[in-house]
Amino acid sequence: MSLRLAADIGGTFTDLVVFDEVSGDIDVAKALTTPRAFADGVMDTIAVGEVSLADVGYVVHGTTIVINAITERKGVRTALVTTAGFRDVLEIGRGNRPDLYNMRFEKPRPFVPRRWRFEVRERIDRDGQVLRPLRPEDLDAVVARCRRDEIQAIAICLLHAYANPAHEDACAAYLQRHLPDVAISASHDITREWREYERSSTTVLNAYVQPIADTYLGQLEAALGQGGLRGELHVMQSNGGTTPFSAARHRPIYLIESGPVAGVMGAAMVGQLIEQPNVISMDIGGTTAKCSLIEDGHPKVSTEYKLFKTRLFPGYPIQVPVVDIVEIGAGGGSIARFDDGGAFKVGPASAGADPGPASYGRGGTEPTVTDAKLLTGVINPDYFLGGRLSLDVEAARRAMQKVADRLRVTVDDAAVAVIRLVDANMINALKLVSVQRGYDPRDFILVASGGGGAMHAAALGQELGVREVVVPNYPGYFSALGMLMTEQRVDLVRTQLNRTSELSIADVVHAFTALREEVEAQFRHDGVAPSHLLFRYGLDARYHGQDHTVSIALDLNGTTTMTSLEQLFHTAHKKLYTFELAQTPIEVVNYRLTGLYASRRPEIRRLQAKHASGSERKGSRPVNFGDAGVLAVPVYEREALAPGFHCNGPAIVEEPSSTTLIYPGQRMEVDPYGQLRIHMRAQAAGA
Amino acid sequence: MDPVTVEIIKGKLLATADEMGIILARTSMSPVIYEVLDFACGITDADAQLVAQTNGITLFTGTFAMQVQSILRKYAGRIAPGDVYMTNDPYAGGTHTADIALIKPVFVGNQLIAFAIAVAHWSEVGGKVPGSLSPDATEIFQEGVQFPQLRLFRGGELVDEVVDIIAANVRLPKMSLGDLNAEIAAVRIADARLQEICARYGVGALRHTFTDILDHGERTSRKAIAEIPDGVYAADDYIDGDGISGAQIPIHVSVTVAGDEMTIDFTGTSPSVAGPINCARGALMSATKTIFKAITDPQAPSNEGWFRPLRIVIPDNTVFSATKPTPTGWYYEGSAYVSELVWKALAPLAPHRLTAGSYVSLCASYIVGTDPRTNELFVHIEPHNGGWGAGVDKDGESGLIATTDGDTYNYPVELVEGKFPLRVERYSFNVEDGVGAGRFRGGYGLVREYRILTGRAGTYASIGRSIERPWGVAGGRPGTVNYMEITTDEQQYRGARVPHTPLAEGSLVRIVTGGGGGYGSPLDRDPGRVLDDVLDGLITLEQACTVYGVIIREEALDRDATQRERTQRSQGAAR
Repeated sequence: MSLRLAADIGGTFTDLVVFDEVSGDIDVAKALTTPRAFADGVMDTIAVGEVSLADVGYVVHGTTIVINAITERKGVRTALVTTAGFRDVLEIGRGNRPDLYNMRFEKPRPFVPRRWRFEVRERIDRDGQVLRPLRPEDLDAVVARCRRDEIQAIAICLLHAYANPAHEDACAAYLQRHLPDVAISASHDITREWREYERSSTTVLNAYVQPIADTYLGQLEAALGQGGLRGELHVMQSNGGTTPFSAARHRPIYLIESGPVAGVMGAAMVGQLIEQPNVISMDIGGTTAKCSLIEDGHPKVSTEYKLFKTRLFPGYPIQVPVVDIVEIGAGGGSIARFDDGGAFKVGPASAGADPGPASYGRGGTEPTVTDAKLLTGVINPDYFLGGRLSLDVEAARRAMQKVADRLRVTVDDAAVAVIRLVDANMINALKLVSVQRGYDPRDFILVASGGGGAMHAAALGQELGVREVVVPNYPGYFSALGMLMTEQRVDLVRTQLNRTSELSIADVVHAFTALREEVEAQFRHDGVAPSHLLFRYGLDARYHGQDHTVSIALDLNGTTTMTSLEQLFHTAHKKLYTFELAQTPIEVVNYRLTGLYASRRPEIRRLQAKHASGSERKGSRPVNFGDAGVLAVPVYEREALAPGFHCNGPAIVEEPSSTTLIYPGQRMEVDPYGQLRIHMRAQAAGA
Repeated sequence: MDPVTVEIIKGKLLATADEMGIILARTSMSPVIYEVLDFACGITDADAQLVAQTNGITLFTGTFAMQVQSILRKYAGRIAPGDVYMTNDPYAGGTHTADIALIKPVFVGNQLIAFAIAVAHWSEVGGKVPGSLSPDATEIFQEGVQFPQLRLFRGGELVDEVVDIIAANVRLPKMSLGDLNAEIAAVRIADARLQEICARYGVGALRHTFTDILDHGERTSRKAIAEIPDGVYAADDYIDGDGISGAQIPIHVSVTVAGDEMTIDFTGTSPSVAGPINCARGALMSATKTIFKAITDPQAPSNEGWFRPLRIVIPDNTVFSATKPTPTGWYYEGSAYVSELVWKALAPLAPHRLTAGSYVSLCASYIVGTDPRTNELFVHIEPHNGGWGAGVDKDGESGLIATTDGDTYNYPVELVEGKFPLRVERYSFNVEDGVGAGRFRGGYGLVREYRILTGRAGTYASIGRSIERPWGVAGGRPGTVNYMEITTDEQQYRGARVPHTPLAEGSLVRIVTGGGGGYGSPLDRDPGRVLDDVLDGLITLEQACTVYGVIIREEALDRDATQRERTQRSQGAAR
C-alpha cells in the first residue's frame, strides 16, 4: 500500500501520476479521455501505467464531470423551491448587461424553467427570526408535481436561510420523506453567505449535477475496487483541497474547477519545495492561459466565482470557495488575425486541437502561436510531443504569410510579431493577479506549466520582473502532480454582520468555535480525528458604508486584540485600494474557517547527482529573438541534465511534453530536484 | 511605428480603464455606486478625445469628451501637474448634479499627454430632498451643490476648502466624501499606469497609439454606416409627463444616412419643460452615441473616433438640450427617450442589431428616511429592471436593466433588508400586466414590493413609459407600462412621476415595470413556444387561444384545432 496515485481527467487526455512513498519515485502515464464513460479512461491509464491497485494506499481524482454536465446542459430535471413571492429570482438574476451596446443582449438562461420553480409560504428576517412559520402543506403540491414530471433533483433556497436554516431543513426533510429517490440540495448546506440570487444559482447547479456526480463517483469507486483497490479515495475540490468521495457526492459543485486548481496547488508545492512561498502560477495550454497568485504558500480563495463569465456575459455565480484564477484566451492554438478596422489581434479564437495550428497538417490554415514558435525556431518540428507529431514548417509559413502581407514584413518578422502580441496579452493577465491587486512581482517567482508555459515563461518573467522562473518536472502532468500534493480541506463561511466596536475578541473566538465544531464534525465523519487538523481563520470586513469586503487572515493565538484586528484590516485595505479610513467604523461581514488535514503530503526527494554524461547538448539551431536578432542557440535534452548543470542564455531545453526557451542574458541551472531555474537578466533602472 | 507595439499599448490602456473601475467600485461608499455600479471611468488624449473606457454605463461614457473640454476651456494655459478637477455641471457636458466627475491631467515632465476621468453617482449632494433629485424640482438650485469645474487639487495638495463646502452642503458627508476618495484613487491609478507606459515605450508611442485608436474607430464605423441604405428615417414618440404636468411631451427625430456618414436631427422636439426630466447636450450626445454604437459594432471598445462620421443637430432649449437653470435631476428620463427614439427610427433597418421597444425608463425610485435602529438617515436609490422588446428571431429579455445603464446590478433582497428598515415582499415577473404579443413576444417586466418598517420615511420616483406603451415591430403588439403604487391601510395611490410622499409605517410601495413590444404577428408564433408560456404560468389557456390562436388541451397542443383556428382568423383578417 505504498503507492499514491493521482488521476486527472482533462479535455483530451487523462493523466496519471504515481508516487512511491518508499522509493520516492514518480511515474506518469497518459491515455485518451473517454467522454462517454470517464471511469474507463481512468482505468485505461492505470492499465497503461501498469499500476497494481492492491499496492495503492491513496487515490486522488480530478474530474471535469461537473463542469461538463453544466456546459453541455446535460444535468438532471431539476426543480427549485423558494420563499413565496420570489420564484423568479433565479431568472431575473442581477439583470446587468455587460455587453453595453448590444441591444439584442441575451441574459444567462436559468437551469430550472419557471414551471418547476415552486413557492412556499414562510418568512425569516435578516436576524434569523421567523416572521411567518413554514406551511409544510404548501409542499404537497410540489411533491405531486415533481412526481408527475419525474423531477430528479430539487434545490431549496429560502430568504435569509444563511442566518437561520430551520425552514430549509424542514422543507428538505419533508421532500425527502415523500420523494425518497429525488436528490435534495438545501442552500444552507452548500453556502451560508447572503445574496439570494447567488445562493440560488449555486444550489440549483449543485442539484442539477448531483445525481450525475453521485453515479459517476460510485462507478469509479466500484471499478477501482474490482481492480483491487483498498486504499482511500479522494477528489480534488476547487478550494485547493481534497475531500473524500462520500462528501463530494453530496456537494459536487465544490468540484467545479477541480483540474485548473490542482495546477495552482502544484505551483504552491514547487514554491514550498524551494522555499520561495510567494508564487505566480501560469498554466498555458492550447486555448487559454491561466494565472493565479500564491502568497506565503496560500492561493487566494474567494466565493465570488462566476461560471462562463466574460467581458460580455454575466455568467452563473457559484458561491463556494474557489481558488482565484484569471483565464484569458491565449494559448498555442490562438489565431493571429486582423479585425474589420484593420487592427492586429492574437486570440481569443483558437484553432484548438482539431484542426489545430497550420503546422499540424490537419487542415488548419490560420496562423497560430504554435506556428509562430515553430517559425522562430523555438519548437523543434521533429520533436513535438516527443516526435509523435511531425510539424509541417511550410504549412506554418504559408499561414503566416497572411500576417506578413498585412504588416508588410517578412514571414519571420510576422512570427515574431505574433509572439510579442500574445506575450503582451499574457502579461496583462499576470499583472491583473499581481500588480493590480497591490503585489510587487519582485517578491514572487513564476512557475510555468502546461504544454506551452515553458516556451513563454522566460520572456514573461523578464517583463514582469519576477525573482526567477521555475519550470517544474513533468510540466505536462502538472495538475495531476499538484493534486497528489494537496491536503484534505474543508472551508466554511458564515455571514454575521457586526461592527467591530460591538465585538470583543471573545465574540470573534466564539463565532469561530462554532464553525470549528462543524469542521471537526465533517472530518470526524470522514474518519479524521480533530487532533490532526490545522485551522486557518479569516474575516471579511469593510468600512461602514462600503459593500465589498476585504479578507484578512487572523492568528487566534491569544495575542490578537480587536485593535490589532482593526489594524490588520486598515493595512489590507490600503494595500488593495491605496487608502485607509482610520475614523470610519469597521464591519465584520463573514467569518471564514479552513480546516486542513495536513499529514498526507508525499515528500519530493532530491535527485542523485548524475555524472555529466557529456550528451546533454543535442545540437544547436537558429532562433529569432526579434529585437535581439537571430542567434545560434544550443539545444539540451532535459532528461540528460543533472542537478547542478547550468548554462547561460540563449538556450533551449527540450523534453517530450514541453520546450523551455532561455533568453540572452538569462542564466539557467538545474536544481537538486531536477527543476529548471531561470534567473532574470539584470533590469535597467526604470524599465 | 510598428503595429504590434500599438496593439500592446492599446491592451494596457484598456487594462488601466478596467483597473480604475475596480478600484472605484470597491472603495466607494454609496450603494448606488458599489452595488449598482452607477459609474464609469476613462482616458482621453490631451485634446479631450476618449481613447479607453470601462465597461460601466453607456450614458456616462459619451459625456467624457465634453466634460474634459470644459476643463480645457476654463483653465486654458493654467493646467499644471498635480491638479485634479471636479465638475458636475449638466450644461457643460455633465448629466445631473449627483454625477460627479473627477478629472486628472496626466503630465510627463511638463507635457500634458492625457486626462483620466471618473464619473460616479453620489447618493447625496444636498438640495430639496434627501438623495437630491426631487421629481418636482423646477430649477437646478433645488438639486444640490454645483461644482462648476473646480480645482480640487493644486500642485498635488488637496484644497481643503472645497472639501469643507461639500461636507457642509450634503446630508451624508461621510458617504459623499468616501465616494470622492474612491474617485481620487481611480484617477491616480490611471496616472501611475500611463507614466509606466511612457517610461517603457515613450511619449511618442503613446500619442501615436491614441491616434491609431481614434482612426481605427472611425474606419470601422464608416464601414458599418456604408452598409445601411441611404435615406431619411424618422420617428415620433411622447414622454409621459415631466413631474409638474401630466401632459405628454412630443419628441421627434430624423436620421439621414448618406454614404458613410449619418446625421441625427432632433429638430421638432418639444421645448424644455418645467420639471427635471430634461437633459442637456452632454447626455443627449451620450444617448445618441449609444445607439449609433449599437448599430455599427457593439462589441468593439468605444472611443471618440467612432463618432467622427456622426453629426448631431438640435436647437437650444429643447427637452433634450436644456440650458441653465432648467432642472435636469432626472435627465436619464429625457436621455432614455433620446436613445429609444433613434432606435425606433433605425429598428426596421437593422433587425440584426435592434429589437422592438422596451420599458425604456430606468424607473428609479428613492426610499428615504430614518432607520429606527441607529437613528441615522438612510437613502435607498434603485433603478428597476424591466421588459425588453422582441427581436426578429428571439423573445424579449425579462427583467433586464434599461438602455441608459449597462453593467449595473440589481440590489439583492437580503442586502436591502440587512441595510435598510425595509422588507421586500415580492420580487418577480409582472405576469399580471403581460407583454407585447408577437411571433416573438416581449420580455416581462418586474414587480418589487417594499414594506416600510419605520414611521419616518418617504418615497419619490420619476417613471416614464407610464401612458405610451412600448412599440411593436412588423405586426407585433405593444408592450405594457411602468408605474408605482403606494398602499396604506386606508387607500391606494398609483402614479409615475411621484413627488416626495411621506410613508406611514407598514405601508407598501410597489414598483411595477412593463413588458416589451412584440415582433411579427402573434398568429405566426411557434405553437410550441405558446405551450411553453402556458406551462410556465406566463399566459392563460384563454390567452393562448385569443391572442395566439393556439388550442391547448390537457397541457398538450391540439395541432389540428390550432391550424383551423389560425386559418380562420387570418382569412377573417384578409376579408
